[in-house]
Amino acid sequence: MAQEIYQLSATEISQRLAKGELTSRALVEALMKRYHALNKKVGAFTHLDEADVLAQADASDARRKAGKILGPLDGIPVGIKDNIAVKGQPLTCSSKMLAPLVSPYDAHVIESLRAAGAILYGRLNMDEFAMGSSTENSAVQKTYNPWDLARIPGGSSGGSAAALSAGLVPLALGSDTGGSIRQPASHCGIIGLKPTYGLISRYGLVAFASSLDQIGPMARTIDDCVLLLNALSSPDARDMTCFDKNHRKQLPEVAAKSLRIGVPKGVLGKGVGAEVAAATQAAIDFYKSQGCTIIEVDLPSSDLAVPTYYVVATAEASSNLARYDGVRYGHRSANAKTPIEMMTNSRSEGFGPEVKRRILLGTFVLSAGYADAYYVRALRARSKIRAEHLAALEKVDMLLTPTVPTPAFKAGEKVSDPLQLYLEDIFTIPANLAGLPALSVPCGKSGHLPVGFHLVGAPLSENKLLAAARLFEAAHGFANQLPTL
Amino acid sequence: MSQGLDIDHLAKLARLNLTPDEKKLYTQQLSQVLTYFEALAKADLPPTADVAMVVDESALRSDEPGKPLGAEAVTKIAPASHDGQISVPRVVDDES
Amino acid sequence: MSNAEWEVVIGLEVHVQLHTRAKVFASAPWGFGQEPNEQVDPVVLGLPGTLPVVNREAVEKAILFGLVVGAEIPAQCAWDRKNYFYPDNPKNYQLTQKDFPVTMGGKVEIELPGASRNVQGEHKFIRLHHAHLEEDVGKLSHSGSGSLVDYNRAGVPLLEIVSEPDLRSAGEAAAFLNALVMMLTQAGVADCDMEKGQLRCDANVSIRRRGETKLGTRSETKNLNSISGVRDCIIYETARQIRELEAGRAIVQETRGWNAENGRGYVLRDKEDAHDYRYFPDPDIPTLKISRETVQRLQKQVPESPYARQQRYIEKLNVPYTAASVLIAQQDLAQWFEAAVAAHPTNAAGIANLVVNDLLRELSASSGAAEGADIAKVSLASCRIQPAHLGALVKLTDEGTISKQQAKEVFSEMFQSGQSPVQIVESKGLKQNSDTGELEKIIQEVIADPSVAKSIAEYRAGNEKAINALKGPIMKRTQGKANPVLIDQLLRKALG
Repeated sequence: MAQEIYQLSATEISQRLAKGELTSRALVEALMKRYHALNKKVGAFTHLDEADVLAQADASDARRKAGKILGPLDGIPVGIKDNIAVKGQPLTCSSKMLAPLVSPYDAHVIESLRAAGAILYGRLNMDEFAMGSSTENSAVQKTYNPWDLARIPGGSSGGSAAALSAGLVPLALGSDTGGSIRQPASHCGIIGLKPTYGLISRYGLVAFASSLDQIGPMARTIDDCVLLLNALSSPDARDMTCFDKNHRKQLPEVAAKSLRIGVPKGVLGKGVGAEVAAATQAAIDFYKSQGCTIIEVDLPSSDLAVPTYYVVATAEASSNLARYDGVRYGHRSANAKTPIEMMTNSRSEGFGPEVKRRILLGTFVLSAGYADAYYVRALRARSKIRAEHLAALEKVDMLLTPTVPTPAFKAGEKVSDPLQLYLEDIFTIPANLAGLPALSVPCGKSGHLPVGFHLVGAPLSENKLLAAARLFEAAHGFANQLPTL
Repeated sequence: MSQGLDIDHLAKLARLNLTPDEKKLYTQQLSQVLTYFEALAKADLPPTADVAMVVDESALRSDEPGKPLGAEAVTKIAPASHDGQISVPRVVDDES
Repeated sequence: MSNAEWEVVIGLEVHVQLHTRAKVFASAPWGFGQEPNEQVDPVVLGLPGTLPVVNREAVEKAILFGLVVGAEIPAQCAWDRKNYFYPDNPKNYQLTQKDFPVTMGGKVEIELPGASRNVQGEHKFIRLHHAHLEEDVGKLSHSGSGSLVDYNRAGVPLLEIVSEPDLRSAGEAAAFLNALVMMLTQAGVADCDMEKGQLRCDANVSIRRRGETKLGTRSETKNLNSISGVRDCIIYETARQIRELEAGRAIVQETRGWNAENGRGYVLRDKEDAHDYRYFPDPDIPTLKISRETVQRLQKQVPESPYARQQRYIEKLNVPYTAASVLIAQQDLAQWFEAAVAAHPTNAAGIANLVVNDLLRELSASSGAAEGADIAKVSLASCRIQPAHLGALVKLTDEGTISKQQAKEVFSEMFQSGQSPVQIVESKGLKQNSDTGELEKIIQEVIADPSVAKSIAEYRAGNEKAINALKGPIMKRTQGKANPVLIDQLLRKALG
């Protein structure tokens, strides 16, 4: 069956460009046609400068003609989540607070993509300031799940996941603080990787929770994910938490027959939907059939993960978002009589309810009289969670769980219950707390809705995770599957 | 059951205006979240947190001045400016 | 101003801008006199997505200061966020060091004023609690109905030096600041130009009854930007607190400002909420290991302490206290002086006298500046006199080759032309006439002159001073070149 251009994987595109069977311009024109047809329905992109992307495509084609392409990504569009700085483009984080802001600088990953010749393709919708699990907290527009337009795509990188799933772009950047790449990837039937904390520079990623945030690649195939990951991960002296060149060596890969996969005790038990559990079990059985050893592991501090995450993340966020005050950039309230009044009004007008909730919670857990009971304790709990995971990952090569307990819910279903939404992240959060690489891979359906399984590895084991995922991908047809739209 | 949540105090610290309805809603929602956090209070935890990350002096930056943005770029993105400086409403002395 | 009943206890927090080219957590440049917002980059401005990176030079200057005061340099240090909202604070948090500062402990030797100007006062050691490295904030100015913010100063490296409450008077506080400025400038850690706001001070003052060991409630006066301001504020605050206590009122712990123009303190609005800074470790800056190799390398850059140098001048070089205290105040001057002494080691006191009186006077006059700390720095570099030549000049005088009077003439010429004293003496033919025979002849001629007969008689009658009347004519006949000491000798011999 001949594939439409928009259905091609980035790897296939790269090959066709190299062979001269496709031009970057033709590719971009095809994608823009689909954008015009579908973006209103899906709501993935909040901004796309058509003249600009065509100019980038032309520049790539010119390089190719002159024999001077910059690498395998040259001429391939990459959608950018609206919390990653691109010079001259809006940097709104889907918030009213930053609606007027045009970034005067590039993020490190954007510099890397430019150097690779990739096409920086539009701004993708997200939960405001990356706070949410459904993209319903966007102050700009709604994004819908291409597999069921009455449902949410997940969040906070909902725009990125939906754009890939709807065939609007072959590659996208997301960011992940508690699951914001992996959970929407799972809900939209695509692949999302959160790398080891420190692998990819955060310079230019609008901070939500500094010790948890990572930029990561999102794609429809494992090869595409690797292509994008390689372009993004390099040292950056502008981020002190980014590994320098001497501390980036990947752990060696392991042959399938020697792979030990750890399944945490009770992970398919209560709270997990029956079909999600079945699809995850099927993935476990697949690996067993390949000769891998499946080992039950005990992670007793798992029930501490969500509270620990929400204390640490909101504490850091309350401080990271303090700079948004209408003084130097962004939304400024009119008619205030004093600077403090102006700052307070600007913030109150600019932030949505979930952001305010998290700022208030974060302020509380750091406040005098409560910091010891909450913030300090959370840091101790985090150490315990990390230690348990590292110990388990000495006995196994990776952990396997569902990515999300239940598939994509209906739009509006959970907006009035923040706690419910927080529990979406129960499987994804520990990897952020422990700084570990984690990958969501499509593994089946729950009815018509995608289900993903989740692999977590030791620091700098991305290659191992991707190899295990590739094994699964090769045997199953879930890669590069697009719903009919 | 507000577990010490003084929403007015927090709103002041965080520089947020809240309507009475918002105060009520957020107090209730945050209380629920805090109840959920009780697992932390009861847990058996190591006595101290590990240091997250340690670097040596090679991670420090040399004292080479980099390129500034320029006052023009700064005032371009500022909501209000005057003669290269950013304008704000009149500061009331001793305000903080 | 503490009287017999009350004792004042003072602790100071001194904020010093460190001598670096770039800012402490951002690579934007900094320095005085730039147009507003020209020293701002995305990190300084707190744009979304920006991150701090620590400046190595700032860390090393902080460590160097620690070594200068004998502080402990820990194996690791870390940064925290101090969260509060203000328009001059770009991130609405300040990066500082609360729990793990770059230096701990240490002490500063101070010298109190002596009984008179020429008498060296008592020395005392003031302990430091610690010093930590943080960032400065932007500058707010007010114009009519609005305010303006300039972020050039935001992100400038600040070393906050915190003393223990060991100071017991305004005078001690001033002496402490003077000693600190000497040490900071001489080690190259900071320029301490207070007119440019490079050194600011918060003063914590409390009162207690003499003999009491517990500390009283303290007030904190912030942002004092001159040593006289610190002194005046402490005197004011001491008097105010004593007045309050004697009236039976308790001291309220409060933050105050100082109005230097009318010499009064005032309460800053009660910042009760602002006190909850919600400190937590900054997640963007990992804990920093400080290697012992770095500490050893920096240890070599620690200069001789000013008061140790002063003692050395007084005890080993026989320089009087007044001159020594001037010399040590400016490192350039002390080094210049020592180079001069190297050329003529046997009369350091004489050289010192020339340097602190004649040389400084000429330098300040020619630079047009008022006497003060900066002239040596500015003018010594362009001073035409070479140190060795000054030593040579004193040597010529000591040997009697020229008189003290002639030396002053030579000095002036040296200052103007930069020539060596030997060259000048030659070219001006200033060599003192020490030819005994010729002098004796001239003396005989003058004695024979009837106009001095009366003086001779008075001298012989016992009036010592009468002999001076003869010296004038003798000097005249020798065109002022005769060696006065020799004249005196021979004249007395001739008169019998």
